[in-house]
Amino acid sequence: MSRVGYLLGVVLALVAAAAAVALVRGRGVSGEAQAISIARTAFARVLYEPIGEPSATMEGEQGLAWALERAHPGPAGVALARKEGGAVRWRVIFPGGGQAEVTADGVVWSLRRPVPSSPGADLYPSLARSRIEAALELAVPDAAAWRLVRAQSWPEGRHIWQRGWFEGGAGALPSGWRQELQLEMVGSSVVSWQRSVLPLGTDLGVVTGRMAELRLLRRPAILGLGILMIGIFVAAAEAVAYRESTAILRGLAYGLTTALAGTLSSDTLVAAPILGVVLAVVIALMPGWTDLPPTRLRFGPAMGVALAALILGGRSFILGAGGWIPMTAPMPADTSATRLLAESWLPALVEEPLLRGALPALAAPVVGWWGAALLAAPVGALLHPLPSVPLLSSLALELVLQAGLAVVARSSGVGGAVLARGTYEALVRRASFPVGSEWDRMALVGVVLGTVLLLWPRRTE
Amino acid sequence: MAGAASAVLAGVVLYVPVPATASRALESPERAAERAEREVPSLGLVWGKVRGWERVGDGWTVLWQPAHGMWLISAWVPDGAAPVAWRVDAASWLPGVRLPRRAAEALLGSGEVVAQARERLGRRDWLVGERRLLGALPAGGDLPSRHTSRRPLLEAVLAGLLLAGAVSRHLVPGVSGRGWRRAVGMTVLLLALTLPQLSALAPGSFEAGARPWVAELSFGTAAVLLLGALVFASQRFPAPGGTVPLGWLPVALAAGFLAGRIEPSGWLAGTAGLSLRLGVWACLAVLGGWLAAFAGDGFREMVRTAAWLRYVGLCALLAAGVLLGGPWLGVTLAVAAAAAVERGWGTWMGVAVVWGWIAGSVWTLARWEAAVRDSLAFLLLGCVLVAITYLVKARPDPASEAADRP
Repeated sequence: MSRVGYLLGVVLALVAAAAAVALVRGRGVSGEAQAISIARTAFARVLYEPIGEPSATMEGEQGLAWALERAHPGPAGVALARKEGGAVRWRVIFPGGGQAEVTADGVVWSLRRPVPSSPGADLYPSLARSRIEAALELAVPDAAAWRLVRAQSWPEGRHIWQRGWFEGGAGALPSGWRQELQLEMVGSSVVSWQRSVLPLGTDLGVVTGRMAELRLLRRPAILGLGILMIGIFVAAAEAVAYRESTAILRGLAYGLTTALAGTLSSDTLVAAPILGVVLAVVIALMPGWTDLPPTRLRFGPAMGVALAALILGGRSFILGAGGWIPMTAPMPADTSATRLLAESWLPALVEEPLLRGALPALAAPVVGWWGAALLAAPVGALLHPLPSVPLLSSLALELVLQAGLAVVARSSGVGGAVLARGTYEALVRRASFPVGSEWDRMALVGVVLGTVLLLWPRRTE
Repeated sequence: MAGAASAVLAGVVLYVPVPATASRALESPERAAERAEREVPSLGLVWGKVRGWERVGDGWTVLWQPAHGMWLISAWVPDGAAPVAWRVDAASWLPGVRLPRRAAEALLGSGEVVAQARERLGRRDWLVGERRLLGALPAGGDLPSRHTSRRPLLEAVLAGLLLAGAVSRHLVPGVSGRGWRRAVGMTVLLLALTLPQLSALAPGSFEAGARPWVAELSFGTAAVLLLGALVFASQRFPAPGGTVPLGWLPVALAAGFLAGRIEPSGWLAGTAGLSLRLGVWACLAVLGGWLAAFAGDGFREMVRTAAWLRYVGLCALLAAGVLLGGPWLGVTLAVAAAAAVERGWGTWMGVAVVWGWIAGSVWTLARWEAAVRDSLAFLLLGCVLVAITYLVKARPDPASEAADRP
């Protein structure tokens, strides 16, 4: 490698690393420590002192969060989902009893304390209504904006329980939305409350409708991958029959890695071994697929960073052009750092060898490499699009990503495409996980690898 | 010999009784839809277009959806004078009204106690026995559901034979028949042109909350992928060429018709509701026959180690088709017929059996005038094609038998 080429590589590595850090820094859901202290304060208001160090886990309602983003496109919607919208919350559970949900930006969404042994004097139903209304101040700061809709009393055990349903109008939420709150008392002590949000049908309908439509559109993509697997089966039989050269050990290692990533990224374990076997076969067959470009790993991560910047910029462009697309990635079911790593790299490990490896290898004799890449792009574009208005804008953005990955695969081979996709996914998904250096490190694994590969001195190309 | 067999089979076919389990449709899905629109209350909703239909029990289940896709209205229209059953499925966030229990009881008005509440993000549903209330919208009850015709074991065997056929045609290529390549390509093209109509046969594609054009796009994309894969397979794994099994074609046609009479496929009754049904049946016959020959090749290669194994395997396949096949009998018979003859004849035999099976199934199940007329026309068209082939005494064309594997 020439000195100029090496220097260009160093510059590329530095630029990619700087861009990746800029994409990651400050991203993520904050408020874990704040949620714990707010929960303690709320418990103190209902005269309960929780014992022990609590655990805090992030939870969310995807449809509600995106509906709020639809109502207020851009960062305003994201902020709303993390505050009064209540779509992104921390569940704080104390080991000695008592749990609360606090939104990422510090609103107590729900609270439940253990039933006190001496809850105070039972309230007669005629008095209960006013006491419930008075107790609302413990749950919300703007109690005057809320209205008691219905109250209910019933005897249970040795005490009388009261439950009140409140309506709070739109408040800080978009026009047409409604807040509700349910508060429970036993005797004369408040033991729990639970807030909820009733979205405007139009906002929620657009989002859930688009999500349902994208689920429908994912079916043909899955069918396409199924057809591709039949082709892989036939190619494997051919390789066995003609004793073609195969990379069995490499395939096994890749298959095990894929199965491991699948196991860590999903709550169901059925698909992971199947994916592992299929990918093991694909990688084992690769030496016989001579139509594929050779792998050059070191450019992959930098390309992934560029694609992440392009796609995130594309979302802003759609918003700026009057369309709508959520700024946030889908919420994960579990927010551990391992999950971020596995969820980011699983699509790369599975889809890239299939769409940029097996499909071009099998279809290139008939339609050529670029023809096969054109076949792979729509299949890949239907797999993970976000809901958008118009729907085609999200699909177009996914097509841009797929075209970019095809270019990467043409220049850097399947291995380069895997690294690019993994890096891209990690950077784009980072914002849905909690803030913290642990998650930052996981999101930057691909970039670090790419930097090392680019800085590694080579004597020959 | 073949002529005698054909005559015997034709006689049997005419006299074989239709099984009591077969539900014969006396009116078309179009008529059923018209009746439902007349008899079912409008519910104050826009119904939209008829999006699909399905034969369920002794009636048609017909589906309507407006262009915005927020709700689906389905009705089961029985063949006789029994009342039409209906049901509304609405998107989870519609209609946005959260009725209290007492109001729900008042709206249902039957004095029944509301049994169960279903909380949703935008509304609260109530279930009362089999009836439902979506927010404030009475939503009918459950409709009769189709008995599953799945035969997992036989389906797995047929899928395995297809894979074996692909491998065998790839590893043991014969002299490819250029005519079959063209026929498959043309058939796929013709079928692709009828795709806008074919989505009506997949009512499961439509969902409340998803716009119908997206459901049709999803169906169309899946169909294009599948048809594209078939064209690709016809190029990569071409059907072997050879002479035409002139004597056996009428037998295969009659046997297929007999299979359709004995075990008709309910799904094919739905195709009789299409306006382009004749073209669709012809395309399905060519593609189905070609695929049956594909599986037949796989079967032949798997049992070619010993002659007795082939006979035993064929008997086992036929027995499985008759005893376990149900609506898959025709397909199993087509695979067995393609595997029983020499390799170059397989596709001809497969197409003839599937052609007869489609005609027999539709003849048996779709008993309204237009369908009966067209199924008869389809059968006659098959007979005419066989006769023309016989009269021309098609010989292998050297040009079409060129070994032109890609």
